[in-house]
Amino acid sequence: MKRSYLGEFEEIVLLTVAVMEGGAYGVAITHEISEQTSRSVRLNQVHAALERLEDKGMLKSEMGEPTAERGGRRKRLFTVTAYGRRTLQEIQDVRATLWTRLLNPFKPATSL
Amino acid sequence: MKPPRLADRLLQLFCAPHRLEEVQGDMHEEFAWQVKRLGYRRARWRYWREVLGFLKPPAGWPFAVKRKPYSTTNQLTTSMIRNYLKIAFRNLVRNKTFSAVNMLGLALGMACSLLIMLWVQDERSVDAFHANKNQLYRIYMREFFSGKLQGVIWTPGPLAEELKKSIPEIQYSTPYEWVSDQTFSVGTKINKQATNTVGPDFFKMFSFKLLQGTPEAALKDRNGLAISRSMAEVFFGSPEAAMGKPIRFDNRTDLRVTAVFENLPPNSTLKFDCLRNWDAYVADGNDWAKGWDSTDPLTFFMLRADADPAKVAAKIRHLLDKFNRDGNKPFHTELAMQPFHEYYLNSTFKNAEIDGGRIEYVRLFSFVAVFILLIACINFMNLATARSAKRAKEVGVRKVVGAMRSILIGQFVGEAMLLTAFSVVLAVLFVGLTLPVFNSLTDKQITLPFDSLSSWAILVGLTLVTGLIAGSYPAFFLSSLNPIRILKGTLKFDAKSTWLRQGLVVFQFSLSILLMVGMIIIYRQVEYVQTKNLGYDRENLIYFPLEGDLGKNFDILNRELLQIPSVKNVSHMTASPASNGAGTEGISWAGSDPNDKVRFTPVSVGYDFVKTMNIRLREGRDYSKEFGADSSGYLINEAALKVIGYKHPIGQTINWGGRKGTIIGVLNDFHFQSLHTTIRPLIAHLNTRQRSGNVIVRIEAGKTAEALAQIETVCKKLNPTFPFTYSFTDQEYARQYQSEQVVSKLSTYFAFLAIFISCLGLFGLATFTAEQRTKEIGVRKVLGASVANIVGLLSQDFLKLVAIAIVIASPVAWWAMSQWLQGFAYQITIEWWVFAVAGSLAVLIALLTVSFQSIKAALMNPVRSLRSE
Repeated sequence: MKRSYLGEFEEIVLLTVAVMEGGAYGVAITHEISEQTSRSVRLNQVHAALERLEDKGMLKSEMGEPTAERGGRRKRLFTVTAYGRRTLQEIQDVRATLWTRLLNPFKPATSL
Repeated sequence: MKPPRLADRLLQLFCAPHRLEEVQGDMHEEFAWQVKRLGYRRARWRYWREVLGFLKPPAGWPFAVKRKPYSTTNQLTTSMIRNYLKIAFRNLVRNKTFSAVNMLGLALGMACSLLIMLWVQDERSVDAFHANKNQLYRIYMREFFSGKLQGVIWTPGPLAEELKKSIPEIQYSTPYEWVSDQTFSVGTKINKQATNTVGPDFFKMFSFKLLQGTPEAALKDRNGLAISRSMAEVFFGSPEAAMGKPIRFDNRTDLRVTAVFENLPPNSTLKFDCLRNWDAYVADGNDWAKGWDSTDPLTFFMLRADADPAKVAAKIRHLLDKFNRDGNKPFHTELAMQPFHEYYLNSTFKNAEIDGGRIEYVRLFSFVAVFILLIACINFMNLATARSAKRAKEVGVRKVVGAMRSILIGQFVGEAMLLTAFSVVLAVLFVGLTLPVFNSLTDKQITLPFDSLSSWAILVGLTLVTGLIAGSYPAFFLSSLNPIRILKGTLKFDAKSTWLRQGLVVFQFSLSILLMVGMIIIYRQVEYVQTKNLGYDRENLIYFPLEGDLGKNFDILNRELLQIPSVKNVSHMTASPASNGAGTEGISWAGSDPNDKVRFTPVSVGYDFVKTMNIRLREGRDYSKEFGADSSGYLINEAALKVIGYKHPIGQTINWGGRKGTIIGVLNDFHFQSLHTTIRPLIAHLNTRQRSGNVIVRIEAGKTAEALAQIETVCKKLNPTFPFTYSFTDQEYARQYQSEQVVSKLSTYFAFLAIFISCLGLFGLATFTAEQRTKEIGVRKVLGASVANIVGLLSQDFLKLVAIAIVIASPVAWWAMSQWLQGFAYQITIEWWVFAVAGSLAVLIALLTVSFQSIKAALMNPVRSLRSE
């Protein structure tokens, strides 16, 4: 496989960033993930995943506006790169292909 | 509502700096949200948990472990280091003269400092090898005589025993007499050996290794004798064979070898071939040693390990009061103590307290070592800053490419270290080559201590310190340059840097002139001491001990010696002509104050004493066989006459220890001690039955060898059991100034070295200036300047600096040298021409150095220097 390996948590983070379309930064992503997946997600885990994804070139970031509640500190806003999007797409394609080859689909389709 | 401060701090400390802002921002935002959700208290807890989560990430997680530096280019990779080294080497090779001047200067300076360091270390190691070093002390007394309080190292004979008896903290003690050459014989083997007398505790106190015998039994017996390995080898063949054997002492007493000790190390101040038992010595006609009035031996003692020296010092202070040795004097003799190992370097008294001594030379030379090293470092700094114009472009490019200032400083300091390291190697080589000469000069046996770790540490330390000092200024200066200005070519070296460079040259030359003035004055004082008219004629005056049968047969000896054609006069005296340190207080005269007795130096002499010594008589006459009553006549010197105060001294009476006598002559003052002390009152009396002391013989000039041969035959005939040994008075006299002579020679060498190193620096600087001003010189020549004009132009800048140095150094040198001369009772005056000579020498040498370069620059064809534009 040519593309970089993506862990399950990384995939969720990457997807969340894609979903949030420009408004994605540490705290917001953390809250979004814990709402959507009902997991207890820690800020440091999210930060670590973001850093790794950026290293892999699937995310890019720039500094945003400072806000008062952040003590005047800027946030780092993440967006998905083309490579990131393609990777997500590839994962989705692989899954879709596999799902179509399932002879007896499960009755009530379970989510992720 | 703020997150916990401590947790925040922790985060700042451990988070990667380039991520801190967003992480901390997120944390704060989260905190604010959690406060709304859970309340302040629980939010704080959560915050702590989050921060700790950032602190203990598993491997590979970004925060707290993986920290990226701000700069993205790493400047200490191996390839960069290789580049720094390459550039350093290229610079060394490209400027061969500069590099050579630099390294030679540094190496010479360091070699000089290393030599001095070795010497200082050796001086400090003297007497420091005793295992009980910190418990060993020696006694000195504070006595009141001649109206003054004086420190005295001679102590009464019974003192050692008394100390042990009355002060429980004192474990061992021993008297230590003065070494004298005594004749020993075993069978037909006869030899003179340096002999001394000590108490039975001696070997328990001092760590002299015993090859045979035990410290307890070594000197317990009255007829016991402890001998050195070499003495054992001379008499018995080996230490083992010597043990327990009889040996004849002075051809009158039979002793037995009870111990053999290893030959004494060179760094021991106690020097002897053999040791006798103290009690036997006292019983052997030295009754004075039983009383408290006479003083002669040194006294050493050893404290118990747990004793407090301060308490002991307080206890011994008034120990002598109970013996009432001072009568009704206003002051009672006090005892004081000094650590034994300090006594070599600290032995002179000032106001009856120990104050300095040889330590002053050690300090002086330590200063000189630092100075010379400093001069060499200044050379380095000077040349490096002078060359900075050439390195400036490199600095500019490096800065533009992203070098930080600290990296540049590191580079230049590193280059300095590299050069210093080469110089250290060179310096060690120099030291190795000059050490034999240095040893013979200072009369030492110093070796390069390659086997000790500390000496390597010193070498590494020297490299680091020198490299740091020498490299610091150029490094800071070069790294501070503005890259834009450098690369634009508009960089001008401002007045500040030349000012500093000139200041360094002035400093350097001040030090050199200081050393030079010191050298001249020390040399002249030593010369003065050696040639001063002592009041007697020390040339062609030999003396030999009056020992064995010579005393008994002195009349025959006298007669036979006078028959030798090259012998002019013969007499005898106690002590030696060059050095007489004895003292007596038992002299009174009409009108003398019984409570304040003056200390006289006594001497017992034979007939024709004045004639033999060639002392001028102020009044009266010499002892002569033609006068009958001479045994009750006294000779005194002018100093004594001044104390006594008689107007017409001849025929007046003097009372010496109960013996009344008349003054038969007054001698002109003559120096019977070294010139460090003033001439003391002297009293001489005739003792024709003298059995000890020296025979003094005046021989004809130029016939020394034959006179000596004939004197020896006479002595051999009259005194066959004793080997004939003799001394020349002038040589013995010169020996008293050995340390001054060494200092004189060393200061000469060091002064020239300092000047030489300074000139190396000046040479480099002149080269640089000439190079910088090539165009200016070209233009001047085109416009019609003569060679002389240009040489003058280039030289005067430097001469100005040397002139300033002379002005600064002269008063300092004057002050320092007057301090040194204080140590002599008879001294030269510091004359103005000394400074003139030192100054003009400095100017001359500087001029020679500079003119070499400036003439070269002035002779250059202007076409060549102006073409290149």
